[in-house]
Parts: sequence; structure tokens; C-alpha cells
Amino acid sequence: MIRRIHILLLAAALVYAPRVASAQLRVVTSTTDLYDIAKAVGGNKITATHIGEGYQDPHFIEAKPSFVLQLRSADVWAFVGLDLEIGWMPLLLEGARNTRIRQGGSGYLDVSTVIPVLDRPQGNIDRSMGDVHAGGNPHYWLDPQNGRRIARLFKTKFTQLDPTNSSAYDANARAFEARLNAAEKGWQADLAAIKGKPVVAWHTSWRYFAEYNGMNIVAFMEPKPGVPPSPSHLYGVIQTVKRTGAKAIIMEPFYDRKVADLVSKQTGIKILILPPSVGGIPGAVPDYFSLMRYDMSQLANAVR
Amino acid sequence: MRITRYFATCLLLVASAARAQQPDTIRSRSKADSIAKAVRDSVELMNALGAAVADTTQRPTVPLRPQGGSTNPRLLPDFSAVGDLVGDLSPKGSTQPDHSRLGVREVELSVQAVVDPYFRGDVFLGISDLEKISIEQAFLTTTSLPNQLELKIGRFLLPFGKQNLTHRHDLHAIEYPYVLQKLLSDDGLKGTGLWGSRVFAPFGFFQEIQLTAIDRISPATDGLTTAEDVNKSLGGLGFSARLRNYVDVSEAANVELSFSAMTGKRDQPLDATYTTLVKGGSNSQFVPRDVNATIARQSTFGVDFTYRWRPLQQGLYESFILQSEVMHQRNERNPALPVAECPFGAGTCGVPAYAGPARDYTGAYVFARYQTGQRRFIGARYDYVQNPETNGRTLNAGSVYLEWFPSEFTKLMAGYEGLKSADATLSNRLLLQAVFSMGPHKPHPF
Ligand SMILES: [Zn+2]
Repeated sequence: MIRRIHILLLAAALVYAPRVASAQLRVVTSTTDLYDIAKAVGGNKITATHIGEGYQDPHFIEAKPSFVLQLRSADVWAFVGLDLEIGWMPLLLEGARNTRIRQGGSGYLDVSTVIPVLDRPQGNIDRSMGDVHAGGNPHYWLDPQNGRRIARLFKTKFTQLDPTNSSAYDANARAFEARLNAAEKGWQADLAAIKGKPVVAWHTSWRYFAEYNGMNIVAFMEPKPGVPPSPSHLYGVIQTVKRTGAKAIIMEPFYDRKVADLVSKQTGIKILILPPSVGGIPGAVPDYFSLMRYDMSQLANAVR
Repeated sequence: MRITRYFATCLLLVASAARAQQPDTIRSRSKADSIAKAVRDSVELMNALGAAVADTTQRPTVPLRPQGGSTNPRLLPDFSAVGDLVGDLSPKGSTQPDHSRLGVREVELSVQAVVDPYFRGDVFLGISDLEKISIEQAFLTTTSLPNQLELKIGRFLLPFGKQNLTHRHDLHAIEYPYVLQKLLSDDGLKGTGLWGSRVFAPFGFFQEIQLTAIDRISPATDGLTTAEDVNKSLGGLGFSARLRNYVDVSEAANVELSFSAMTGKRDQPLDATYTTLVKGGSNSQFVPRDVNATIARQSTFGVDFTYRWRPLQQGLYESFILQSEVMHQRNERNPALPVAECPFGAGTCGVPAYAGPARDYTGAYVFARYQTGQRRFIGARYDYVQNPETNGRTLNAGSVYLEWFPSEFTKLMAGYEGLKSADATLSNRLLLQAVFSMGPHKPHPF
């Protein structure tokens, strides 16, 4: 009798046992940048997929049911946070019905928690200020220092969920940082060329990039975050470009170039379509290093 | 985008012409100054926002939690309010139920939060001049069931067909399609009970089964009294099932084809009022009761199809949706009738005649919406339904809509509808709508 109970218990344990440690961690990320860094740290110990594409506006991803299928078996859900994904993530997480990646679950990874956040509003805010994110500016991955922070966070999380492979994660994270250090040395001349140069940015998504490379954003094409350019605002941008001698309008590939063309026609300013994310220009920026290098050299050439 | 571009071009032309003609007038200079100031202000706003982080020029060393504490330390639920304003400029008078030309159709208040480690809670109250205050939805949703299972308990929009699951103010038209209004409910059919669902993908694409058991399939009809409660026997409860099938055709296009069915009992009229003896009170006595309705089974079946197209890179400016639903409602023809009692207890006096629907009804709509700019859409719908209110005579309608979102929190719509009802006369309706929502940013329904 006791033996029979033991067998039953054993069977139950087998059925309900947590996933065995030898299996690969299944990681899903909201953006391609997080995906690329997760892959760099996880190596062949994880499988990774991403929801958004690099050439898509990350604020407006659709909560397609097919994404639910990706998420329902995920061990880690890594997202940018600071409300970047607020328009679609809640629907996907509810749809996925996966307790590991719900808030409070071991795989729920809000990457912004390790980032020193820019543009965090103080005092009262309301929506007359546009699409302000109460937690601060979420476009933080275009600063390599934040790239390192993201890599370290992945190392910590993967190690916690899969301790048997901790040495691999540690080695991969170190290798990532070493590669990034080397890449950074390669664009020092570009940094020097960019520093202090006046530019126009479409959205606040270039704030961290500017903090890193010292470019001086003298105007935004959007009058307020997320608010499309109005004619009167564009007229003001043109005046500012003329006054400051701004060299380039930096914009993502998913915004309407024709509006920037208007400003360019009036002022001769260059339009610089820069990918904000890995894969943002198909073929050109397949990983985080090439993304940073591409944006840095394109910008340097434009403002030199 | 075209309109913005047009205005921008005009403005630039006017502005440069003005400068060429009178380069030094104080007016044009002060205008340029004030606009330049607006730009500086927008940059300053960003900088002010940024100033919150102490000394951004110095790169901090790895902070453990640089953002500090929780963003919601008091665990407050999300509160929000939606105002749904409708103007009716139809040439022959208002076509609104309250005959208003300018009205507040509904205010919706909602409170939503995670309740505990096992449940999330959602409460939606609808307030309108006609219905006063009503519990639109109030349900718990499980958050930790295994095997892609989810259970809801409470009142919810019934998962039958596609658009019935969308709140009326979130539709891309001003009213529900007529087939929903006439065969389900004019402001969304709700059910109160249990909702169980499971996601699965045995064929590699998304599938979901949604089953409900609800108190009854329709609210009690005003003015109808039945001898027994509709849900007296468990067979009188309502049941529904929906199977969703979703496939990505390409990165930009996807298709959903789903099937729904529901069945239950509801009140239907008799040809006159009769008095019957019904069991009443606690002492099992039979008491007389004026009855003018009986209970009949009603079953509805539906198929819905949605095609969506939205190229990822141009998705801010371009998209297209084509949607259609077909519904068929079956009505029991010969339900059991209450036996009428003679006055003063003289035995059975006669049997009332059934005056409920003696036929089945079918209806459908086709809806298309095309995005013409970052925040502008045009839509059109064709409606067909065998109208139960006119004994199944057909109602046809064609409508077009302009939809504009000044922001994610406001929506303005204008709609024209040509409506051909049973007597074949065409009536024109001209509707305007403004919707605003306050509270936290909610996810965009897909
Ligand atoms: Zn943003």
C-alpha cells in the first residue's frame, strides 16, 4: 500500500515537476535590441524570440493572438518598460496565461529597473503635455552604457533561473562587454565630430543617444511627445534650424519623411533616417554593435 | 498625412510670401518669434523632464534600482471614465431612443485592478438618461490557472461573434451593426455567469475555445410576465460556445475566422393576459398571477471573419480592416403554454395562444475601414437583417464614416446612413459622435 502511494507521488511529481534544468530557457523580448543582447548573453543555452521588429514603431505594436503563442511557454518575458509597451503588453500577458511571466512571476523582467532614466517628470503631469510617460523616457538602449546594464541584468536573471549554466552566462556577458568596449574605441573619432553639433530629432527617442554622444538637440519635429508635427510648429522648427545652423533631422524609418522634406526644402538641412533598433534597416544593422556603429558613423558624416 | 502636408505647404508659402513682401513688419517678426518660442518651449519641456534625473551628464555607475520605489505604493485600482456624446442631425428628426438631437449617450465608469494573487477584477458601470445606472460588466478573471486555462466569474460582454466583445464607444462605427442590435442587444449582449476559455495550437496557429454558462440569454423584456422564472430549471440557463481561429497570412496581414453558438430560454408574449395559478410564497400555496408571456427556447449561430492589413514600417499611417458577421437565430415555435384559470377558481377556462416569433431570423453585415493618415480613417458598412420587431421583414442599411483621433484619448466621428426598412421607404440619418476617455492608458483592443 505504502509502495503504491510512493509510486503515485512519484508519478505526480513527474507530471508537475518544474521544467528540468537541462532544457534551454525560453526567452521572449518586446524589442529586437533586448533580443540581440539576450542572445549574446544566453548563447546556445537559451532560445530567444522577439515581438516587435526594429523597423516598427515600438509604441504601436498590435496585440496579435499569434504573439500569445510565443508567450504562453516562455520562461522569461523581457520588456523595455516605462510604459513603452502599455498599448499592447497587458493584452498579450493576459492572453498568454503563463504565470511565470506575469507581474510577480520569476520570468517577468522589466529591464528599465536597472536604467538611470532620463526625462522623468517631476511634480504634476497631465496629458496636455502629450504622450508623457510618467516613469520617464523609455528609449534608453541607444546608450552603450545602458547596453552593458541590460547585458548584466540578463546574466543575473538567466543565472537565477538556470544556475547550472551560470558560468556560460557570465562568460558571455563578459565577452559582450569586451566587444562593446572595443567597438566604442572604434567610433571615438565619430564622437568627437558629433559633440556639440546642433541637430533636430523627430521624437524624444534620441535623448539617450544625445546624452551619450553630446549632440545638441535644438528642436523636436513633434511639438510634444507622440503629437504629430503641426504646420505652425514646423514653421518654428524651420526658424530654429536657420538660427542654429542645425545639420540634420534625425528620424526613425517609420515616420513620414515627407514632413521632414518640407523642412529640408526650406533650410537645406539633411534628413538622416537612422534605425532606432536592431534590424531597423533590413540587412544593415543585424546586431547591437552594428546598430550603434551605423548610427554613430551616419550621424558623424552628416554633421561633420 | 496629405492634409497636414497641404496645410503645412500653404502655411510655408504664405509665410515666405509674407516675409518677402514686408520683411521687417513687426507682426510677422513677432509671429516668427512666438513660434520659435514654442519650439524652444518644447525643447525646454524635454529638458525640464530630464532635469528630474540628477546630473545627466555624469554617467552613473550601476544602480540597483535607480527608479526608486513603486509607482503605485497605495495599491490603488485604475479608475477611468469614458464619455460618449452623440449628435443626431437626421433631416426628419432625431433617431435616438431619447429623441435627443444632442445627447450624452452614455458615461462609462470603470475600476480595474489585480485583486489578489489569484484574480483580477473589472467593474464597468454604465450611466445614461434612459437606463440611469447599470452594471455593464463586473467580473473576476483568474490569473494563475495552469494549461492556458482562464475563468471569468460575473457579468461580461458575451463572447458571441466579433463586435459584441467591443464596447460600443470603441467601435469604428457609431452604433453596433443592425444584426447585433436586433438579434443580440442594441448596446452589447451581456451574460452573467461563468466564462471558461482555453488557448491551444495543435495545427500551429492560434485557436481559442470560449464556453459560458449564464443566468439567461437576454434580460427580462419590459411588460412581460411569465408564470415561472425563465431560469427556474437549470435547462433555462443560457449556454454559449465560441471557437476562434487566427492565422498570420504575412507579417502585415492576418485573418480570423470564428464560429459562435448560444442557446437558452427567454420570455415571449402571449396573445392576451391570462391569470394562472402559480406556486408562490414559502408555504407552497398556489396563488393567481396575471401572465402575458411564456418561455421559449432561442438559439443563435454565428460566423465572423476579419481580415487585417497593416504594414509594419508604414503602420502609423496605413492600415485596412475588412470584417463580416453572419447570424442566424432559431426560435421555438410551439412552446408550452400556461394553462389559464377561470376567475374564482372554477377550473381550467382556456388556453392562450402563442404570440412570440413564428419564424427564424437571419442577418449579416460587411464592414471595411481604411486608414488615410496618422489619425484619420474612413469606414463603410452594409447591413442586412430580418428584423424581429417587424415580424422578419428585412431592414437594409448602408453607411459611411469619417473617424478622427485627435489623440489616443479622444475620437470624433461623423456618419451618414441610408436605412431602408420594412415599408421600403428610405430614411437618411446623419450622426456625429465624440468620445473621450480619462484615466490610465488602456491597451488597444485587437
Ligand atoms: Zn517614445
